[in-house]
Amino acid sequence: MKKRGRGIGLSFYGTGYGNGFPDVSKARVKLLEDGKVGLFVGGAEVGQGAKTVFVQIAAETLDLYTENIHLEMEDTDITPDSGTAAATRQTYNTGNAIKIACENFMEKLKEYGRRALKLNSTAGLKVEKGEVYLEIFPQKSISFRELAEMYKEETIEAEGEFIAQTVEMDPETGQGAPYWPYTFSACGVEVEVDTLTGQVDILKARLVQDVGRAINPAMVEGQMDGGFAMALGYILFEDLNLVKGKMKNMKFSKYLIPTAMDMVEVENIIVEEPESTAPFGAKGIGEPVMIPVGPAILNAIYDAVGVRITELPATPERLIKAIEEAERRANGG
Amino acid sequence: MIDIRLTVNGKEYSLSIEEDKRLIDVLREDLGFIGVMEGCGEGECGACTVIMDGKTVNSCLVMGFQANGKNIITIEGLAKDGKLDPVQQAFIDVGAVQCGFCIPGAILSIRALLNENPKPTEEEIRESISGNLCRCTGYNKMLEAVERARRYENGA
Amino acid sequence: MVLNVVGKRVPRIDALSKVTGRAIYPQDIYMDNMAYGKTLRSEIAHGYVSLDTSEAEKIDGVLRIFTYKDVPKNEHGVVYKDHEVFISKKVRRVGDPLAFVVAENEKICDLALEKIKVTYEELEGVFDPVEAMKEDAPKVHDKSNVLYHFKIRKGNVEEAFKRCYAIVENTYKVHMVDHAFLQPEAGVAYVDEEGNIVVMVATQYPHYDREEIANALQVPVERVRVINTNVGGAFGAREDITLQIHLALAAKELKRPIKTVYSREESFLAHCKRHAMVMKYKTGADKDGKLLAMEAEIIGDTGAYASWAANVMRKAGVHATGPYYIPNVKVDSYAVYTNNPFAGAMRGFGATQVPIAHEQQMDMLAEKLGMDPVTIRLKNIFKKGSVTATGQVLTEGVPLEECLIKAIEGFTFNIKREEA
Repeated sequence: MKKRGRGIGLSFYGTGYGNGFPDVSKARVKLLEDGKVGLFVGGAEVGQGAKTVFVQIAAETLDLYTENIHLEMEDTDITPDSGTAAATRQTYNTGNAIKIACENFMEKLKEYGRRALKLNSTAGLKVEKGEVYLEIFPQKSISFRELAEMYKEETIEAEGEFIAQTVEMDPETGQGAPYWPYTFSACGVEVEVDTLTGQVDILKARLVQDVGRAINPAMVEGQMDGGFAMALGYILFEDLNLVKGKMKNMKFSKYLIPTAMDMVEVENIIVEEPESTAPFGAKGIGEPVMIPVGPAILNAIYDAVGVRITELPATPERLIKAIEEAERRANGG
Repeated sequence: MIDIRLTVNGKEYSLSIEEDKRLIDVLREDLGFIGVMEGCGEGECGACTVIMDGKTVNSCLVMGFQANGKNIITIEGLAKDGKLDPVQQAFIDVGAVQCGFCIPGAILSIRALLNENPKPTEEEIRESISGNLCRCTGYNKMLEAVERARRYENGA
Repeated sequence: MVLNVVGKRVPRIDALSKVTGRAIYPQDIYMDNMAYGKTLRSEIAHGYVSLDTSEAEKIDGVLRIFTYKDVPKNEHGVVYKDHEVFISKKVRRVGDPLAFVVAENEKICDLALEKIKVTYEELEGVFDPVEAMKEDAPKVHDKSNVLYHFKIRKGNVEEAFKRCYAIVENTYKVHMVDHAFLQPEAGVAYVDEEGNIVVMVATQYPHYDREEIANALQVPVERVRVINTNVGGAFGAREDITLQIHLALAAKELKRPIKTVYSREESFLAHCKRHAMVMKYKTGADKDGKLLAMEAEIIGDTGAYASWAANVMRKAGVHATGPYYIPNVKVDSYAVYTNNPFAGAMRGFGATQVPIAHEQQMDMLAEKLGMDPVTIRLKNIFKKGSVTATGQVLTEGVPLEECLIKAIEGFTFNIKREEA
């Protein structure tokens, strides 16, 4: 028999290293010879989209097109340490460092602009669209390219550093402020469970993620789809089959991860409430997108067939066994 | 050593290879097509997918000598005259790319599908990439990319 | 705020190279005069080991076989330096690295691996973290298997449970899983004209890898350069060192480019796993569904090495309540060594495991109280100004109610099951 059920899961997630450990990101911004802006960051692009997010943040802060930002982040010899690409911290932490570096860089540009334009002060100077100009007399204007040419013997650059705020917890009571910011997630699913085979099909899925602000909505949705898929595998079938410390499943023919046939359409909903300490309000979401999905599926399974799966994964065998046990109990057996 | 002759991305190659050399290694090491990825070496992940005589194969399961006389397309051969294939362009435009390792294989699977079946159903698309494992995207943006690619191909 | 670039669906700047096959991952790097390296790994989970490499070294084309004797400082680890670069005496898990064979090609590496004589003196292992906590359990390292204990003590749970109308108690078990990213670990290392060691890998943290390499090789950090190529997925599994030090050591000693590419199976052996956990929960609410107390004991299996265990179990502990205000909370979370594969970072980092428990607890409480799962959550969820179990004030950015309402659009939740 096929039975349907619905379930929800909620979660919160504290981002960053946490617990008072110095969580430092650095970025460096430099005027290049061709008038483009070099952005030097030690963060890693692991597929999550860090490179694009970083360039977007820099372009927004400097009021440039993304094509005018030249990003370098692969080489430890030329990039500052931006911390690990983990703990959902790159958008928030390194994003902040980039924004600060860009703001410092604009001050530098104003100073060079003042010199080049032979002004007495940087007051009223604006940096926009690749130019430094005086707002009250816009004819006083110089482009980044001209500045680069004029001061090619000098290095026009600025650094930015961001250190996240957390408070170490008391070792006895756990009282403290271990993470910041927190992100919030919710998931609703409808499943169909085949009570004969133990097969679980997801019929409908909605995943909602608080992001502060989405720097790039398409990439947020991509993370949400991927997080959903990873949770699906975790809850329903991924299994190393550990026997006395030895993994029996170490190949994709045995360690099954979700395929396109296992995955379902997910309605991804992005909730935006900009965070005041974040770059343009953006909180990281790489990890949180996965978290509420598993419990939503498990609660939906219960709603469908009335059994609680308290040991993962919820394989067909385990589910059938639980359903049979529940029936035995119901029949007084 | 064994002599083979094959066409890759429209260009003919003659080379002498070890008998036990796999097609993936011929393509990567002898011919430099590094867009052919190896994710498992046992035909499970599809990262090494190439199109051989119109059909997708896992190039880790094909021996080099078996490709003798065959016409092979790798990801490097999809763009024509500097213009991306509509499937490639669609993957970029909808955001179907994350870490990228599975992407050449997935794009080639979809290309082969659309060549045979220009109006696939969602089920047919899912099936066509069911042999291309991806751990990042959850596949849904790839499905979106197929729709987008079809629009590009119809000149929309 | 008017935004021109932020908030836009800007195409990924690395997408073009990835859809055309031009993106370089470490396995795509081929250098002149390159030699290959392969790792010998332990086949048992716990025991003393000794190697005889003499036969293997005689094979034509073998350049060098590196063991612990060749590593100036034989250690690494993200928090605790409890990994050895190569095992010196005792293996603690299946897959521990024992030696690194460098040869002219991979086939010769394989031949040499077979010729290395490995002698084990097997020890009793421990594979269950609950067992491992017992006094008389086999010791994975020469100390207690409990490497970390995190506590939350807020209010008075004993007293509060007495006031609860409904209490739910359960034990949940979640298993170890793998990140299974698509790009197996690979790397190339060489020594440049200035004598610096260059290591090209796919990593989550190039600057920290550089420190780990410099420390193990006892060279100044400035003499090591890490180039992070394209990374074929990570999800936490590329935070610990895998092949970086092996490659750097071999390149430094042999003054040749050295390449290593792991097979899928070796990838499973080489990197960390998600922590398996046993989570014992007791949650109580009043008649209206307001949560009054929660008690949780969470035991995390970190396997043979600590990696991020303390941080993961701390994060599990901090998130144990779920996003709910609960006035009385007692949490004990533990990180425990066993002879299982080592566990470390994986997407969600401890906070992915605990909702398996707290969200099922919420539904069970709702059922006991004759409520639906949405209502009970709405009564308890964090809002702006809520205080967490650690005493932290959520001053802003808490749109959880909105998230919940949006998640259930189109669903009906009307569970009113008879009590079994």
